[in-house]
Amino acid sequence: MAPTGLLVWYNTGVDLLTTSVATVESEGDPYTIVEVAGEADVTNCDSLREVLEAEVAKQPRTLIIDLSGLRFMDSSALHVILRANRAMDRQGSVLALASPREPVAKMLRLTAADQLIPVYASVREATAG
Amino acid sequence: MADSAVLNRTFRHVGFFYRTEDEYAAAVTGFLRDGLAAGEPALAAVPQARIALLRDALGADAALVEFADMAEMGRNPARIIPRVLAFTRQHAGRRVRYVGEPIWAARSDAELREATRHEALINVAFAAADADILCPYDTAGLAPAIITDAMRTHPLLLSDGGHGTSPMYAVPPRIPSSCSLPLPAPPHDAMFHTYRTDLSEVRALVLKHARDAGLTDARASDLVLAVSEVAANTLRHTQSQGTLTIWYEPDEIVCEIHDEGRITDPLAGRRRPAPDALGGHGLWLVHQLCDLVELRSDESGTTIRMHMLVQPPPTDG
Repeated sequence: MAPTGLLVWYNTGVDLLTTSVATVESEGDPYTIVEVAGEADVTNCDSLREVLEAEVAKQPRTLIIDLSGLRFMDSSALHVILRANRAMDRQGSVLALASPREPVAKMLRLTAADQLIPVYASVREATAG
Repeated sequence: MADSAVLNRTFRHVGFFYRTEDEYAAAVTGFLRDGLAAGEPALAAVPQARIALLRDALGADAALVEFADMAEMGRNPARIIPRVLAFTRQHAGRRVRYVGEPIWAARSDAELREATRHEALINVAFAAADADILCPYDTAGLAPAIITDAMRTHPLLLSDGGHGTSPMYAVPPRIPSSCSLPLPAPPHDAMFHTYRTDLSEVRALVLKHARDAGLTDARASDLVLAVSEVAANTLRHTQSQGTLTIWYEPDEIVCEIHDEGRITDPLAGRRRPAPDALGGHGLWLVHQLCDLVELRSDESGTTIRMHMLVQPPPTDG
């Protein structure tokens, strides 16, 4: 039998994906952090897109997506992030990803998305970068 | 070696039938040295034991050739074309040489079918490439049916020191029918699950069975992503439910997705999508993540069978 501890990584039903947004004032530029937690896939990537589009529209200099709580991401969710990155590029601003867990980090490597969008080990490093 | 008009074509794909190591070493090093003399970059992807043989025979020239262990690079044969395309892009504007030996006797029937399909797809993927490709076949160890298919997948042949065109090669290129036979039915004790909206449940089932099979956490996650990508296509491209089937073979776990979708591009997942592409990543990821992928698609629907070895060769992370 599989250890049950791992199975709770995949919770079905409600709240499969949660997002929260914070704007952080710092000495330099303020930046926006979007925390994404749970599992992001084709079934819920529209809600992720709405959140990211709303934040991109506010034209922050820097938008950091904190992936530390994201257990799973598929290519539909990646495409939502790539779209947000294009929009930020057009505005002359920067999108960065912070603290992806290994399965998500591997997916970013295999698609070479990590060569397009900076990926940092932590939010702190992302704000310093 | 250039003794007939066909050899002046820009793209050459030669099936080389050999019986002995000496014959192998002589022909393959001759092929590589012809390229080196013309200043062409060369890549040789062959089984590990053959790398040693070729290095020995090439001597100092071995340093000018890039070698890859085909058991690793081509474990899933669908990963070979993008790897060789990357080599041609790395040397854009130059003619390149490639030795590829994806077929050897110890491979499973499923692997041999997919490696043969790969050989057929070389003719499509590289049709416009400036490349010389040589594919060795061990006629002493391989079944006659495999050699017959090699004659179908290679426009040019080299055997007993003689070059010629293959009488069995069809234009436009076709995939041998042996590659498209119906897949053997899953065992009766396989686990079945249908889905239409909930992919999290699909992933939980795959994770549980992958861990029960003894896959490491990293490889279990790989299989979860691969199956989830294929199942996502059911939701994206069909109006009906999909079926997930999971079972164990002696040395691997197999996950199969069947739905009413249709995949018509034979090279789907074998070309690396641009990093900012907003599509085409699904099957690319599936092929990069799984040890072997079998795909059948027709009017009745699409079946994608994904294999993961319980104990992969140690080079894998």
